[in-house]
Amino acid sequence: MAERPEDLNLPNSIVARIIKESLPEGVNVSKEARTAIAKAASVFVLYCTSCSNNLAMKANRKIISGQDVLGAMTDMEFERFVEPLQASLEVYKKAQKERKEAIAKRKQEKSDKKPEDIEEGSDEGGENENDDEEVDDCS
Amino acid sequence: MDQMEENEIELETVVLDDTADEILPPSTEKIATTNIEEANKVEKIVRFPVTRIKHLVKMDPDVNLCSQEALFLITKTTEFFVECLSKEAYSYTSQSKKKTVQKRDVEQAIDAVDALAFLEGVLDS
Repeated sequence: MAERPEDLNLPNSIVARIIKESLPEGVNVSKEARTAIAKAASVFVLYCTSCSNNLAMKANRKIISGQDVLGAMTDMEFERFVEPLQASLEVYKKAQKERKEAIAKRKQEKSDKKPEDIEEGSDEGGENENDDEEVDDCS
Repeated sequence: MDQMEENEIELETVVLDDTADEILPPSTEKIATTNIEEANKVEKIVRFPVTRIKHLVKMDPDVNLCSQEALFLITKTTEFFVECLSKEAYSYTSQSKKKTVQKRDVEQAIDAVDALAFLEGVLDS
């Protein structure tokens, strides 16, 4: 696996907040414990990535998909996460859809304007042509 | 903050809270929209910065491409993981009748839970 991500720890403040909210009120967490959990989280990301990637490669795909990540949860013995993840995914997809619609609407509004109001050849840019999944180049 | 509790997992709903600004920096993803506000709206569904997670994902030499959806799921599941590990650690804290979770409690949780076996040795620095 890749080297230890000492420089790529997740933001301590956010880790601390999640920890605090997951525990009963009045419970404290030592700084060492917080650091330990943050470090564990970084390792978890690497492990999760690796498992997901294995699933993608098994299926002869080069792109890690959302389904690969969900499948990896089972491999990693975190089945309990699958349902909540699926629910979050629905919310995310809905938000993505709304975002795309908003962009399309803005484009429409621009094209309704007079041509001299718009710079020649200008484009909203960033509009991805992928259908369902948008891809991030990790190479 | 509006939260739903499902068994042990807390599912964060999409609610704008006053910490919204801290949640994520403007997205720098290629896929990101020209409108940063809209990008932030999506990313408020997660707390961790997706870009930071993306850097971690990129560290794996075998990984070529990762869909935006997969990145989101990895980010989200890491949040669940933090909750899960915290609660496991706390079970040892409360067993010792303490009110402060110590590193030792986290280590005990790692030793006890099979699913956390991948963390063995990680905390030894």
